[in-house]
Amino acid sequence: MQVDRVRALRGPNLWTRRTAIEAIVTCDDTERDLSQFSGFEERLRALYPRLQSLASPPEGSTNGFAQVLEVATLSLQCDIGCPVTFSRTAAAPDPGVYQVVVEYDQEDVGRSAIDIAERLINAAREGLPFDVEAEISRLREIYEDVRLGPSTGSIVSAALERGIPFYRLSEGSLIQFGWGSRQRRIQAAEMDRTSAIAQSIAQDKQLTKQLLAAAGVPVPEGQPVDDINDAWDIACALGLPVVVKPQDGNHGRGVTVNVETREQLEAGFRSAAEAGSRVIIERYIPGSDYRMLVIGDKLIAAARREPPLVTGDGVHTIQELVDEVNRDPRRGTGHATSLTRIPIDDIAMACLHNQNLTLDAVPALGQPVVLRNNANLSTGGTATDVTDQVHPDLAARAVTAAQMVGLEICGVDVVCQSVLRPLEDQSGGVVEVNAAPGLRMHLTPSYGTGRRVGEAIINEMFAADQDGRIPVIAVTGTNGKTTTVRLIAHLLEQQGLRVGLTTTDGVYAGGRQLDAGDCSGPRSGKTILMHPDVDAAVLETARGGILREGLAFDRCQVAVITNIGAGDHLGLNYITTVEDLAVLKRVIVQNVSPTGYAVLNADDPMCARLGSVCPGSVVFFSRDRANPLMVTHRAQGRPVVYLDDDAIVCVNQGEEVFRLALADIPLTMGGRVGFQIDNTMAAVAACWAVNVDTVALRAGLASFQSDVASTPGRFNLLDYRGATVIADYGHNPDAMKALVDAVTALPAKRRTVVISGAGDRRDEDIRDQTRILGTAFDTVLLYQDACQRGREDGEVLGLLREGLVGAERTREIEEIRGEFIAIDRALSTLAPGDLCLILIDQVQEALEHLNQRVAEANA
Amino acid sequence: MSRHDIRILDITVLRGPNRWSYKPAIEALVDIGDLEEYPSNTLPGFVDRLVAWLPGLRAHECSYEAPGGFVKRLEEGTWTGHILEHVTLEIQTRIGHPVGFGRARSTATTGVYHVVVRIAQEDLTRACLLKARELILAAIHDEPFDLQGALSELRELADRKCLGPSTASIVEAARAARIPIAPLEHGNLVLFGLGVRQRRIWTAETDRTSAIAESIAQDKDLAKELLVRYGIPVPEGRIVRKVDTTWEAAEDLGLPVVIKPAEGSRGVAVSLALETYDEVAEAFRLAQTVQNAVIVERFIEGDEYRLLVVNNEVVAATGAIQFTVKGNGRDTLRTLVAHELDGTHADLWVADALIDHPTVKLALKRQAVHFNNVLTADQVVTLPCPAKVGKDVLASVHPDTLDLARLAVRIVGLDIAGVDIVAKDIGQPLVAQGGAIIEVNAGPSLPTHLRQPGDISNTVGSAVVRHLFPEGETGRIPVVGITGCSDTTSIAAMLGFLLHLHGQSVGVACGSGTFLGQRCIRRGDGANWTAGQRVLINRTINAAVLETSPASLLREGLPYDRCQIGVVTAISTPPALARFGITEAEQMAHLLRTQVDVVLSDGVAVLNADDPLVLAMAEYADGEVMLYSREGQTESLQQALAKGGRAVYLEGDALVFAHGETTHRHLLAPCVNASDCLPTATTAWALGIPFDLIIGAIVGYPAAMIDQASPHPG
Repeated sequence: MQVDRVRALRGPNLWTRRTAIEAIVTCDDTERDLSQFSGFEERLRALYPRLQSLASPPEGSTNGFAQVLEVATLSLQCDIGCPVTFSRTAAAPDPGVYQVVVEYDQEDVGRSAIDIAERLINAAREGLPFDVEAEISRLREIYEDVRLGPSTGSIVSAALERGIPFYRLSEGSLIQFGWGSRQRRIQAAEMDRTSAIAQSIAQDKQLTKQLLAAAGVPVPEGQPVDDINDAWDIACALGLPVVVKPQDGNHGRGVTVNVETREQLEAGFRSAAEAGSRVIIERYIPGSDYRMLVIGDKLIAAARREPPLVTGDGVHTIQELVDEVNRDPRRGTGHATSLTRIPIDDIAMACLHNQNLTLDAVPALGQPVVLRNNANLSTGGTATDVTDQVHPDLAARAVTAAQMVGLEICGVDVVCQSVLRPLEDQSGGVVEVNAAPGLRMHLTPSYGTGRRVGEAIINEMFAADQDGRIPVIAVTGTNGKTTTVRLIAHLLEQQGLRVGLTTTDGVYAGGRQLDAGDCSGPRSGKTILMHPDVDAAVLETARGGILREGLAFDRCQVAVITNIGAGDHLGLNYITTVEDLAVLKRVIVQNVSPTGYAVLNADDPMCARLGSVCPGSVVFFSRDRANPLMVTHRAQGRPVVYLDDDAIVCVNQGEEVFRLALADIPLTMGGRVGFQIDNTMAAVAACWAVNVDTVALRAGLASFQSDVASTPGRFNLLDYRGATVIADYGHNPDAMKALVDAVTALPAKRRTVVISGAGDRRDEDIRDQTRILGTAFDTVLLYQDACQRGREDGEVLGLLREGLVGAERTREIEEIRGEFIAIDRALSTLAPGDLCLILIDQVQEALEHLNQRVAEANA
Repeated sequence: MSRHDIRILDITVLRGPNRWSYKPAIEALVDIGDLEEYPSNTLPGFVDRLVAWLPGLRAHECSYEAPGGFVKRLEEGTWTGHILEHVTLEIQTRIGHPVGFGRARSTATTGVYHVVVRIAQEDLTRACLLKARELILAAIHDEPFDLQGALSELRELADRKCLGPSTASIVEAARAARIPIAPLEHGNLVLFGLGVRQRRIWTAETDRTSAIAESIAQDKDLAKELLVRYGIPVPEGRIVRKVDTTWEAAEDLGLPVVIKPAEGSRGVAVSLALETYDEVAEAFRLAQTVQNAVIVERFIEGDEYRLLVVNNEVVAATGAIQFTVKGNGRDTLRTLVAHELDGTHADLWVADALIDHPTVKLALKRQAVHFNNVLTADQVVTLPCPAKVGKDVLASVHPDTLDLARLAVRIVGLDIAGVDIVAKDIGQPLVAQGGAIIEVNAGPSLPTHLRQPGDISNTVGSAVVRHLFPEGETGRIPVVGITGCSDTTSIAAMLGFLLHLHGQSVGVACGSGTFLGQRCIRRGDGANWTAGQRVLINRTINAAVLETSPASLLREGLPYDRCQIGVVTAISTPPALARFGITEAEQMAHLLRTQVDVVLSDGVAVLNADDPLVLAMAEYADGEVMLYSREGQTESLQQALAKGGRAVYLEGDALVFAHGETTHRHLLAPCVNASDCLPTATTAWALGIPFDLIIGAIVGYPAAMIDQASPHPG
């Protein structure tokens, strides 16, 4: 068995809406049938007993080792707690080749799992030992390392529940929620609006207290001190006991509470001085430590926090008691569990020492022994949820404290006897406020109810009716994608939106080109969806990107499929038939939002059929007002866009929404260029679906030109010494048909076409191109360029020539090496009134060359 | 000649508007003893010695209102208190904190003066006053005085106590925009505006500066990764942790390279244009002294620029200038540079920054000189003056580059940022010339852009203030200031109640305590500066009622710079103030008129027309004056109403609100003491509270509240 290529499909894809690993696996004849390998499955199960069942594929045939790889990869991920369920093995057309697809939660884990599975299978095959447990534990480590922590994870799940999309911006906990101009960010438990100043204030305890006192929040009196003598004087003045702590700092570092003697004070002073720049002495407030979690202007959760402690039984030593407590299975070592083991370290030893105890001491029955003077969960403390008990006045003080410091997410530390009463009634106080508070104690408290903290944070960032999404319009199809994308973007701009778009020739946002080249993949789509200045996204979604990585988005508002026709690029990546292609293009329709639309060409049966998988609504467009599909759709009250005499009409619920005269749409050349009518109908349907108004549509259609600047290489019309020159990038039979239709409608004395064939098409597709052109052109200039995409020299030219055999109209054929030479040759033969279609290959260079020639002619 | 002395009996810090000045000042009570008999012209050589030490005194205008005025007074003979005022002012000027206001006034006691000097910073001005005393005594007695020592001691104090230059430039701009500033004693945090209108800065960050954005800016690698996605040219680079991988990365990226710590800022441990393995290794070790993770990135050839972006606008850009120093065979390059800079850049830190700057280091390396080298005569060294101390180039930056810088800052998510750019020609688009954005910095140094030789406009500070307070936002909430010698506490408490009923979140500080809405947050006297300040920095309030007792006004000043409404109830001479020299009603009136002085021009002074001294304050009001009287429509009221003014008076049991010729009569229940309600009703009207609510509140004001608010009923 050979695993050839492993890809991560990072968005909805051909196989699943979830993220998945896709591997191309080749099995030899024996590996294709498990029964050929006696003892293999037994050995495999001996090595990895938890391997899930190897169910037979539905077709009844067996997928052999490829399927074992699939199941093992899934089982390994399930074993470490990844929430994954989907897997599939599909036989490719080539015998013995399979596509193995397994869902992943974390890409690194998915990739490692398939690697482990492969080695496991090899070991089982050879009868070699394999330590699967060690591998699983390594896999678990990777998972712990790369997955989101529990705090961030809770916020992300809350976002997903509300349908808010998210991207991880870094390997750490920096997350973007929503898209474009509606995006928000969090990092751990901080929001993007968390002010850096508020954080600095929270770090400065003295300043914090000053501000809180001003707002009427009870705080313990106290002040900073310079040295131990000063500290003792202040302590006596405040009245013992006192608390000694560093002025800067957090997480309870260097804090000593309940200091009663000068000796304790000196020790406390030293540890505080080590942890921060300056030491504060303040009145000790007796009572328990509470943490109030304030989000926005609400108290969301409250927990009582207790330091790690053991209770004596008069029999066991402290060490034994601690060991006993640590045996609690809920106590883990990291941050993931609701309890953490009590560490016996220097701090614990010092704490025991302060109580005149050692680890060997046997405390009396019922005697509590504290092992650390801070209640953090990560050092063995416990948290008990008390949210429902907090007195409204006390809650109000916590909220005021957060607001006074300026924190939208704030952990307010309160010390008091009971949260059932106001602070003022029990001389309790706020001792500290924390930016970026830990959420674990509220999500999974050691005792009591977990609170929906993530939800509260998401609600603070996104109002109830917002999901952070901007309108996303995905466009695919065999021909017309780029013009449609450009036109949609132009129309959206008329509506006052800042549009980001991806096309096969670049990524654009805010009028700037961010990247050049073929940018119709998901990476470019993500760039647009992450851009802070984008109000709407129009994404050309080509087959390559869907195959390679999946979609850039979880779902879109509108999916436009211009057409499928006879297809293009067939034969690549196991997409061999036009039906396969339709299944691939279907992915964007399958991932339309339930409130969204699929815009489909009713004149293209393959395309129209995709409407059945759309979770949202379907808008059909058609050039034929009698198209039965479209007519039915309209009769059902559903939205349709069609050509009615000399106008494009939109009808919804039986009512005409708008009527746009072709005469006012220069792109269609007064209705003569049929495929541009299709593109226009697709674009206006998509814009209607995102509520672009008629005024904007009219203005946009009137001002849109198919010129070199706005849609380079898409039916660009140029005037060369009185002859019409059309430059187009079309390279498949459907494009040829559309071009021939358009060209036939244009008056011309003599028609010339310049064409090369791209080598990565099927032979018949290359031949078909010239077969179609032969019906409409007098002269055909065939050229061959540097890039032959895997073909022999002259091979493509030969195929093109074959297509011209017996051509209806073509009388002259010429073969030329080099694109520019071919262009120049064609131009040299033109007389006024002639028409010349140039099918360019190197779009940018050829257009520049043409422009230059036109400029020279006009000079 | 017997030994003269100047005794400072008392120093009062007036933290707000006071009887001497609108601005905070210190007031020293000074006993000049027998110097009362020795005006300056009678002390031999004194004036010459004094002016020789402080030649700046020649510029003081004094009562002659022309430079030289004060020296003329010295020569004609003036008294030591007055001299102490001017010398204190001059010393503050010498250490770079000019304040421009002082007063010296005699008191009822012969030889005892009030010397008042506006505060630069409380402790600093106090120290300057004490130094001024020493200096004057030394000049009188013809004794030596270590002026330089004293000045440097004071400068050091100023450095410790005063705001840093970034903060100071913003504060200065806020002052110019008349935004109130809370005098929070904190090195970095400054609170602008009052109550809910409060905004904050901390050096060059605002309360809108996102903590996440700040951490993205600090993580240079992450920041670059984000920028690159949006087509912003950045130098390619990668993170390394070992020397070997560093060299590998350097070769991959293409030499020369830059090496710097992955986090960190301000050019620390940054090495540029490294070509060889040894250079790379050394630079790597240097960077690792700061942080284990080190960035190696492609070196971009060109000049360095720093663009300052505030609220999505590029407000300043500084760029490289070069200057040359010529050796003289004696001085080190360091000394020569310091001298050279002194002409254009006053502060030495500039020279230090220059010496440590990676670009400068690179230039020196290329010229094979070191800062400690003594340059031979005629040896010429050319130094780039890096962006941090460069010249203003904003007008010549290509517009695309401005857009890129703004986009970069938006991507990181900062509201204020410094964008470092390297370009060969800043007037041309970046990409075509291979230039790049090197870094986006949070909390950028503003002095970079302030130190434009000869540039005194504070465009940077103003841009930040405009960002915090867009056009039309004053940062103010309605503040009612109340002072006088009767009823002030009950008026404050009742107004608080009224505003509460009117739906305001009101803070009240008055004689009976400090209140938020109806909740007492602090018992005890709150009719003072501290309690008033505490209310005003509370972000939850949108209106404040602050009583200031005459004693507090005398000893502390008002807790706000200006107020919407100033109420003065009555004048008397409480015995408690006699020891501060307030014994006459006129003196009290002079003190209390401060309350009227600070009323905003769109505000209202509410005055008791029945007290002639209070009534007389009307002439000091910038805004409207509203009178009230329990005597009915008195002559003064009639005059005011005839001019279309507003007044409130009693007519039998009825309260009459009169506006010109229009009147609204409201009969009060017999249980209400109508005359007590007059000032409250007038003020409430001034605040725009509807009559019905005013009457309702007066009638419904619970007896318990009155008890609580008036510790001394009657």
